[in-house]
Amino acid sequence: MRGNGETTRSSETNSATGRRDFLRAVGGVGVAGATTGYLGARQGRDNFKLGVVTSLSGELRFGGQVTRRGYELWKQAVNEQGGIQVGGSSHQVELVYADAQSSPSTGADAASRMISQQNVDAVLGPYSSNVTLAVVPIMEKNRMPHITGSAESPQIWQQQPKYTFGTIPTVSIIADQAATNILNLDPQAESVYITGVNEPFSKSTAQAMRTAAQNADVEVLGYELFPRGTDYANVVTQAKNAGPDLHFHGGHIGSHVNLVNAAQQLDYNPNGMMFHYGVNTDSYKDGAGNGAAYTFGATVWLPQVERSGGTLFETPQAYVEASRSTFDTAPDYTQAGSTAAGIVFGEAFKQLGASPPLNQQQKDELVSILEGIEVETFYGTVSFDNEGEYYHNNTQTSPLAIQLDQDGSPVIVGSEGGSEPTYPVPSWSER
Amino acid sequence: MVDVGLLLQTVINGLLLGGIYVSIGVGFSLAFGVLEVIDFAVGEYVMLGAFAGALLAPTFGSEGVFVIPLVFLAFFGVGFLIQPFIHHVTSGDRPMPVLMGLVFTFGLAIFVRGSVLTLFGPNNRNVPSDLLVGGVTIPGIGIFPTVRVVTAAVGVFALAVFMYYLYNTRGGMAIRAIAEDRTNARLMGININRYQSIAYGAYAGMTATAGVFIGLIFTANPGMGLQYTAFAFFMVVLAGLGYLPGVIVSGVVLGLAQSLTAVYWSGEVVLFVLFALIYVVLLVSPSGILGKGGEHAS
Repeated sequence: MRGNGETTRSSETNSATGRRDFLRAVGGVGVAGATTGYLGARQGRDNFKLGVVTSLSGELRFGGQVTRRGYELWKQAVNEQGGIQVGGSSHQVELVYADAQSSPSTGADAASRMISQQNVDAVLGPYSSNVTLAVVPIMEKNRMPHITGSAESPQIWQQQPKYTFGTIPTVSIIADQAATNILNLDPQAESVYITGVNEPFSKSTAQAMRTAAQNADVEVLGYELFPRGTDYANVVTQAKNAGPDLHFHGGHIGSHVNLVNAAQQLDYNPNGMMFHYGVNTDSYKDGAGNGAAYTFGATVWLPQVERSGGTLFETPQAYVEASRSTFDTAPDYTQAGSTAAGIVFGEAFKQLGASPPLNQQQKDELVSILEGIEVETFYGTVSFDNEGEYYHNNTQTSPLAIQLDQDGSPVIVGSEGGSEPTYPVPSWSER
Repeated sequence: MVDVGLLLQTVINGLLLGGIYVSIGVGFSLAFGVLEVIDFAVGEYVMLGAFAGALLAPTFGSEGVFVIPLVFLAFFGVGFLIQPFIHHVTSGDRPMPVLMGLVFTFGLAIFVRGSVLTLFGPNNRNVPSDLLVGGVTIPGIGIFPTVRVVTAAVGVFALAVFMYYLYNTRGGMAIRAIAEDRTNARLMGININRYQSIAYGAYAGMTATAGVFIGLIFTANPGMGLQYTAFAFFMVVLAGLGYLPGVIVSGVVLGLAQSLTAVYWSGEVVLFVLFALIYVVLLVSPSGILGKGGEHAS
């Protein structure tokens, strides 16, 4: 309804003016928003604000959700306990998200935008190594303390990043040790076929598996990398033709599922198949169906393995219960490593003794604290290397070789105290 | 020395992979030829079909095959209902109608992908089947996995059915008339809206059905659609835009090229080879691999 005294205009003029008014209004809101954001960034706050860069969409969204759950569980547990105690005050934790969309370049842009606009105190890192490799230089450039609870490529640590740390040991340690355990199962394998997806994490996994085979004097009958989304019927055909005792594959869960399905369809039956990441996740087990049983894998954390415990979650089991009650899902080691990343930041904030928001000098001090920190967590003891090829990576947590049993539950195999594996595994028709 | 067994199995893989592509390309080519819609949501229909298979199979005794007729009918209905919206944005006096349709379906694809991700989470899901397990082993030749054989057969069968419908029924004649010239078709008394809805419904139903098969072969997950959208484009470009018979040839060529490249050259260069193939075909024969594609080719 028009107000009194409003001038009558032609509909054309009215429409043009309407557009101008609309643009002015949008512009005004934009300016107001930007100003508010700027002022908000400058004004004081009493909570620790951490940025999270992870893949909330795109091909790696499964892992992105895993890391998000890990970081959120840390935030929830800290805030339920009243926040992070610094001196006599307690400070709640706030997480702000930037979606990497599973793409390194988008992740780098999102990280950069978040740092410049959100005035965060620190950053919790992306899911996947390829995004992390793109984000690390942004952290260095902005001198931003950054812990990844997920990335495993050794390339990250070989760059010796000053501001980036990682709670999960590099895949060249995990895959190497787990593969060595499986290569030495009785009867010992004489040959192995190794495949991988051609991306940083998966390639490093395949390389580590190959190194393990070479060190164990096991013949590598084939080693090839494929793009994402390949038809694994071709991969399986080549591998089957080679006739290996074992098949090792480096990739993410989707590729494991497709490889197993193709192996079933083409009746490819090596004595065992090993995938490094994710065999004990619901996504792998749901995707592979009855083909999932007896798959070998690697992990650095399982709820049934006693770890030091202590900060926030007393035991691995307590952490599992928290995950189930909050997200209705059991955690895997990436989720646990992500929560551990938050715990380490929390302890470092305490040791820093500074109230938020942190200035650059305090962020630099935080990095120095992280370099010397040792935190007992449900995930294990976390401390970071300060020299060598694993610079700033936590290499303390021991890798475990696992195998899914008939019901899809992971059992530890091939190491001291491990269970007897089902090996060679039954043929597809016998499962 | 070429290993004959490996070569034969590789060729089989390529042919069966081509059959999977055919099952997607049929509907896409139909939608393009008749409706002149470049449907960016094609992969999302595949994804929705696969998801429907995974979600509905437990209610059918964990047998994904039984879900197929239901999925076809349900998505035929969905396509039938959506088509008027697409028609609305691609007709009238709007500039660049093809681009409008492309933008509309692109938005639809993003909306569907995001909705599935939100509702069902990012996990992979299995489409179970006891009927399509195993395969036929022919000594000296290779293994024909049942599920891939059936998928390829259904793709070719669907193409045959649509060809029959298009060339031997009044409805098919009406659709071809619309593809030829909408204005004249309307002047001849053809109910354009109805037949366009039927064509788009058939496309949606076929593509979702192909999705169930793809879920049976691989897996279902919310992000799987993009890959099939890309391959649907490859298919229709190679087939000759809108030329239905070319779909079989282009599907087989793409499947064989992918399979042979992966085994005899390198898995890393598969996409490079496929793109190179498409560029060469476009340069040599812009009307597709059989030289019969083009506007209104169906």
